[in-house]
Amino acid sequence: MAALSPAAPATVRRPRRRRHLPLWHAFWILAAAAYFIVPIISLVQFSFGGRVDGHSAGFHWYATVFADPNFASSFWLSVQIALETVALSIALLVPTAFWIHLRLPRLRPVMDFVSVLPFVVPPIVLIVGLIPFLQPFTFIYSRPEVLDFIYVVFAMPFLYRSLDAGLRAINLQTLAEASANCGASTWSTLIRVVVPNLRSAIIGGSFLTVAIAMGEFTISSLLSFNTFPVYIFNIGQSTSNEAAALAVISLLLTWALMIALYVVGRGGRTTAQMAATR
Amino acid sequence: MARVELRGLHKTFGGGTVALDRLELDVASGELVSLLGPSGCGKTTALRIVAGFETPDAGEVLVDGVDVLGLPASRRNMGMVFQSYSLFPNMTAKANVAYPLRIRRRPKAEREARAVELLDLVGLARQVDRYPHQLSGGQQQRVALARALAHEPAVLLLDEPLSALDAKVRVQLREEVRRIQLELGITTIYVTHDQEEALSISDRVAVLAEGRVEQIGTPAEIYNRPRTPFVASFVGTVNQIDAVVVSPAEGAVRCGERVLVVDGDLSGHAQGADVGLYLRPEDVVLVTDEPEGTPGASGTSGASGTSGASGKVRSITFLGPVTRVGVDCELGALVADVASDVALGLGIGDPVTVVVEPGRMRTLV
Repeated sequence: MAALSPAAPATVRRPRRRRHLPLWHAFWILAAAAYFIVPIISLVQFSFGGRVDGHSAGFHWYATVFADPNFASSFWLSVQIALETVALSIALLVPTAFWIHLRLPRLRPVMDFVSVLPFVVPPIVLIVGLIPFLQPFTFIYSRPEVLDFIYVVFAMPFLYRSLDAGLRAINLQTLAEASANCGASTWSTLIRVVVPNLRSAIIGGSFLTVAIAMGEFTISSLLSFNTFPVYIFNIGQSTSNEAAALAVISLLLTWALMIALYVVGRGGRTTAQMAATR
Repeated sequence: MARVELRGLHKTFGGGTVALDRLELDVASGELVSLLGPSGCGKTTALRIVAGFETPDAGEVLVDGVDVLGLPASRRNMGMVFQSYSLFPNMTAKANVAYPLRIRRRPKAEREARAVELLDLVGLARQVDRYPHQLSGGQQQRVALARALAHEPAVLLLDEPLSALDAKVRVQLREEVRRIQLELGITTIYVTHDQEEALSISDRVAVLAEGRVEQIGTPAEIYNRPRTPFVASFVGTVNQIDAVVVSPAEGAVRCGERVLVVDGDLSGHAQGADVGLYLRPEDVVLVTDEPEGTPGASGTSGASGTSGASGKVRSITFLGPVTRVGVDCELGALVADVASDVALGLGIGDPVTVVVEPGRMRTLV
C-alpha cells in the first residue's frame, strides 16, 4: 500500500522572504526627510555662496564671522544667560517639584496646567506683562541678567515636565521615608537621594532650557540686548551669506548640545534601571 | 534595646475611616511582637505612627517611657524596613548601608567597616559593590535590613518586608530576620498579614481588627486559645458548630441530640442561650466505617467517651503532609486535617464517623 503522506525531502530550503518597503511608506519617509534636510543643505550651500574679490567665497563668511568681535561677545552673552537660566530654573523647580510630589500631590494637576501656560501665552504678551513688573527693579532691568528671570518662565514647561516624569519613575514617598528613617533631614534627602536619582531628568530639562535661552530672539530684541540670535538677525539684515554661516554655526552648536545630552544621559543610570529597583 | 508602649493611639483618615481605635500595646525590651491582621485593620498605620510618618489624632508612643510623638522621623532613632523596595538606586549596597552613618558624619573608615560587617551579617558579603538593580528582591530586602540596623537603632520596625518575595525566599528570610533579631537582641515590631510568618518568628503576636488589639499572646496561645471568633477564624482554619447552653455551671451544651461538656467559660451565658463552638481541623478525628480489625482513616476507631457523629465525605483537598477532608455530619459541615497517607483511602461520599474530644471544643466571647 502506498504511504499516505509523501516522504519529506532530505533538505528543505526555505524560500527567502524579501522585505519590500511599500512605495507609500518610502514616499512619506523621503518626503519627511526632504522637508527637514533640504533647507539645511540650502543653508550650508548658501553659507559658502557668493563671490569675494572675483573668487568663490569658500570659508570667507565663516572667517568673517569669527573675526567679528561681536560674534564672540554675543555668543558668550547668550551662553552666560543660558547657564544662569539653567541654574535659576533648577534651584527653583527641583525643590518645587519635589515638594509637590511628596507633600502636595493634590497640586499636581494645578502645576501641570501652570507649566503649559508659557506654551499657550505668546511671548509678546508675556513681555508686555513683565516689563511693567520689572521696570521698578532698575538694578536688574537694565542688565542682560533680566533675561534670566524671563527665560525661567519660558523654560518651565520643559524642565518641570522632565522633573515630573523623573519623579514619577522613582518611588519618591518610600525613598524619602527611608532617608528620614536613616536620620536625614528633608534637604539632605533632596540633595543626597532625590537629585542623584533625577540626574537624567535634570540634564534633559537643562539642555532644553539651554536651547531655548540660546535661541530666544523676541524678548532680547525688544529689550535691546545683543544676544546671539539678535546678532544673527542684525547680520542677516546686511550680509545674508554671513548670516547663513552664523546659522550653520548655531545649528552645529545645538547639535553638539544634543550629542552631549545623549552621551551624558547614557553615562548615567537610566530611569528604567532605577524603576527596576522598585 | 528599648521598651515601646502605645497608649490609646487613635487615628481617623479623611472620609471618617477609623484606622486606629484607642490602640494599646506594650513591647518589652528585646522582644519581637508581630502585628497581625487583615488589610485595613490599622497595623501599618500603627507602625507608621511609631516611625514618625503619620501623626495620631490622640494617644502616646513611649520609648523607654519618653513620648516620641513630638520628634520627627529623622530623630526617633528607629530602623525601618519597608514593604516596597526602598534602597537608594544611586548607591551601592555598601553605600546604602553606610548612609545612616554618613548622615551622622561618622568617619568614612568606620562607616565602611560597619556596612561590610552588616552586609556580612545578612549574608551579602560578596555583593557589597552591587547596585540595587543588580540585586534580587530578597537581596534588596537583606540590604534594607542591614541599613535599618546600621545606626544601632533603639527599635526595629518591619512593615511586611517579605510580602513582595516568592514563597521559598520568604521562609528563608523570615528565619534570618529572627536569627538577627535574637543575635542583636533588638526590640522589634513586625507587621504582617501572613499568620504563618507571625506565628513562626514572634515572641508575641497581636491580632488587630478594626484598629484595636483583639488578642495578644504567644503564638501558641493565639492559635490554641483564641479569645474571640475573629482571632479563631483569622489565625488558622476553624470549624464553627452551633450549640445551646444546657448548664452554664458545668460547661454543658446541647449540639443536635448530643450534650457535650466543652472547654471555656459559659458563666456569662444563660441556660438556653445560643453559643458557637470552635474547633480546629486537626482536632477532628475521622473514623472510617470498616470491618473490625481494619484501621480507620485517622488510625483510630471506636474512641469511647467522645462525640461520635456519623457523616459523609464532602470534599478532599490535598495540602501536602495533610489532607483537608470536608465532612457533612450531625454536628454540621466540618473540615478535618488527616495525614495524607491515611487519607489516600478516602473518597467523596464515603461514610465516616466524626470523633471530637469535647475538651477541644471552645466557646468564645
